[in-house]
Amino acid sequence: MEIKPILLALKRSKFLAALLVIQIAFTMAVVSNSVFISVSTLKEWNLPSGIPHDDIIRVTPRFYDRSKSVTAAVNNDLKRLQEMPGVLSVTPTSGSPFASENVTEVYLTSEEEAQEYQTVIYDGTEHFLNTLQLELLEGRAFTAADMIYDSEEKNSEVMLSEDMAKKLFPDSTAIGKTVWLSKGSDPVQVVGVYGNFMTGETLNYYGKSYQSILRARSTWSHEQEPQYLIRMEPGIAESKLEDVASVFYQEQGRYLSQYERLKRVQKRMYDGRGSRALTFLVISAVLVFITAFGIAGLTSFQVNQRRKQIGTRRALGARKSDILKYFLTENSIISLVGLVLGLIVTLVMTFELSNIEQENLLDIGLFIGIALLFWAINIIATLVPAMRAANISPATVTRGA
Amino acid sequence: MLQYNFSLALNSLKERPGLTFLMVLTIAVGLGLFTTIQTISYYSSDIPIQHKSQNIYLVTMDHRETSADPIERPTQMPDTTYKDVMNLINAPVPGVSYTINWNSYGVINRDADTETAVRSEILVTDAAFFNMFETPFLYGGGWSSEADEKGDAVIVISRAMNDRLFGGIDSVGQTIRVNTDTLTVVGVTKDWNITRRFYDRTYAPGYIHDFFVPTGYAINSDIPRNENFDCWETEKEARFEFENDKWTQLINSECGWMRLWAAIPEGQLEGYESHLMRYIDPQKQLGRFPRDIKIVVDNINEQIEFVAGRNGYINMFQMIAQLFFAVCLLNAIGIMLAKFIRRTKEVSLRRALGARKSVIIQQYVMEVVMVGILGGILGVIIAYFGLWGMLNIRLYAVDYTITAESIAHQYQLNPLLIGQAFLTSVACTLVVSLYPIWRICNIPPASQLKSA
Repeated sequence: MEIKPILLALKRSKFLAALLVIQIAFTMAVVSNSVFISVSTLKEWNLPSGIPHDDIIRVTPRFYDRSKSVTAAVNNDLKRLQEMPGVLSVTPTSGSPFASENVTEVYLTSEEEAQEYQTVIYDGTEHFLNTLQLELLEGRAFTAADMIYDSEEKNSEVMLSEDMAKKLFPDSTAIGKTVWLSKGSDPVQVVGVYGNFMTGETLNYYGKSYQSILRARSTWSHEQEPQYLIRMEPGIAESKLEDVASVFYQEQGRYLSQYERLKRVQKRMYDGRGSRALTFLVISAVLVFITAFGIAGLTSFQVNQRRKQIGTRRALGARKSDILKYFLTENSIISLVGLVLGLIVTLVMTFELSNIEQENLLDIGLFIGIALLFWAINIIATLVPAMRAANISPATVTRGA
Repeated sequence: MLQYNFSLALNSLKERPGLTFLMVLTIAVGLGLFTTIQTISYYSSDIPIQHKSQNIYLVTMDHRETSADPIERPTQMPDTTYKDVMNLINAPVPGVSYTINWNSYGVINRDADTETAVRSEILVTDAAFFNMFETPFLYGGGWSSEADEKGDAVIVISRAMNDRLFGGIDSVGQTIRVNTDTLTVVGVTKDWNITRRFYDRTYAPGYIHDFFVPTGYAINSDIPRNENFDCWETEKEARFEFENDKWTQLINSECGWMRLWAAIPEGQLEGYESHLMRYIDPQKQLGRFPRDIKIVVDNINEQIEFVAGRNGYINMFQMIAQLFFAVCLLNAIGIMLAKFIRRTKEVSLRRALGARKSVIIQQYVMEVVMVGILGGILGVIIAYFGLWGMLNIRLYAVDYTITAESIAHQYQLNPLLIGQAFLTSVACTLVVSLYPIWRICNIPPASQLKSA
């Protein structure tokens, strides 16, 4: 296959070729940047929750009447809920899966420059693990005897999630080890390890979604009111939502700021990011289509323009595959130049966008992948009119002129 | 000749309808996305009460300690301390009027037990607020300035909450319970279409307060202060309690937490700024304002522009949409060039028969303008659906915690935006078709005739 005649032919239609090159370059820039944005948005997106989120209801009551006792209300709530048919297990808690943004740091030594480990600390009753249906992997689970109800008292034991245990003690078992819950104070013993569950968006963003710590603690006040997690019998949570809410309305002086299934909390955690990434991906898909149609249109135009030349070549003995190859090579040369130029435009644009986003978005591997895919689409777009060209009969040339 | 050219242009559009449609569609899709993003960004920088926004200023001064972080952007200026607010209001400047506000929240109910309570944000403000920001009223109005001083238990509610609590009747004179207090409704606001909640410096789009109560009432019944207290080191611990407690300590502290707005007549800004300087100077002697004096007195326009300009997501989208439109236009000229080149024979014949270049140009410009207009029409239709889609995506993303009505006005095309879209469409198509037109009108007469 000779490249020279193709280059000569391209030189004759400089403008069209340049047009295609710029179009491909810009398309690449838009598509790769959209994909970069989507990928960075969808990092750690939609991970397994580790819990039966369909069957767990989360209720967040809040007191407005500060003369009422929170502790008494919690006791009443728990008693009423446990009597309710369909309720399997319930716990008051300081945080809810998918919505725990109160990330703190824990330490392995009491030194001043001890390394920080990010985590979320959950307070709950001995029913916490059962309510979230988390498996006990090592050591022992909390029992009623471990519970602390007095806010002056401190916990001396904690349980860790599987990922937390692995992160803190990668080489050995975590059971019996000491962790400092704040800098230089609150040393606690690890007594057990439970299965992972999704904490919330903040840790998710750092790729540490499952790092959590559990304390057997139920001390509530107007400053720290509990949320409730309630596991229902499978499949009935949705229909029982209002019934559960009405239990909470029996207590005076407060209102329900939220009551919903954890499934909905999970949806909310991912939706903003998901829809944003989707918008960008849809835009790039549309653009790829437009460019592909444009390329198909222009190639088909050139085929029409060169009917005579093609006919002559065929009459002089060129095979169908030669004609096909001619158009595909021509398109590939244009694509290649376009993609190289596209890389430059992409780099400039990514630099700008990274500034806006304050995060490095560039991913060369991804760019090359997109470039290859785009090339393939271009070839398909050329193939259709090129086949038509290949089917031009050698006799065409003898007719008209 | 004009008419003849027109019919020629029309014929040429009809000639290969598939290609014409592809061309128009490409332009329309590009324009559609472009207009969608333009509309969203237009509303994000929409300025409320435009006829006087130039003259309404947020007054901020840096009262913080020497060790505090430096201020790089006007939005980093702290809110104002109670002391400064009171001092400034009590030393009136002729022509200048003030209003203040801070955020609170409460549980609101029509009666003690009849309805399910709702928790809502409440804006604590004064009588001047409704005049300065021209809040539209459906029933009644704001309260009097005496109500502020006496601490009357009165409340202004939104149309939406009036519907919910009173079924939409004229509820002026009725009572509402806020937490454990009973308040009398004095006014019901109409839907207030300001696109950003500028007055409390949150600039949140879409959400306007549903409840407004007088400062005097808020102070007397000590309802929560839902603010970030920007304090000195001495109050770093106490500031967590200021929300519900320690009013006396708060008003004597160096904590900034109130918004002070001033209406300053045209041309008096400089005078007012030096008034502020003259106020701060003696304060320094009292051990206050330890840093270099920094005041920022920005009007509504300046603030909205600043906030809108920093909206990363929209800027990113805008950049993508512009390039997208550019690709679509490139695509369109490719097709246009192809169409034009097909007709070289026809042009060459017309030229041979005596048509001047200008006549040929006229014919093709006409054709291009027609394409531009068609692209504009289709593009606006696409933008309409695009905005509808974006509205739904927004609702989905916030899990339907806000109603479509409350933000729909930010996703609406208006005559200005539509006009802009048409102009963009026609202008851009004309610009990109310059080269194809130039090519075609330079065909020498009769050059293409020999072989036909």
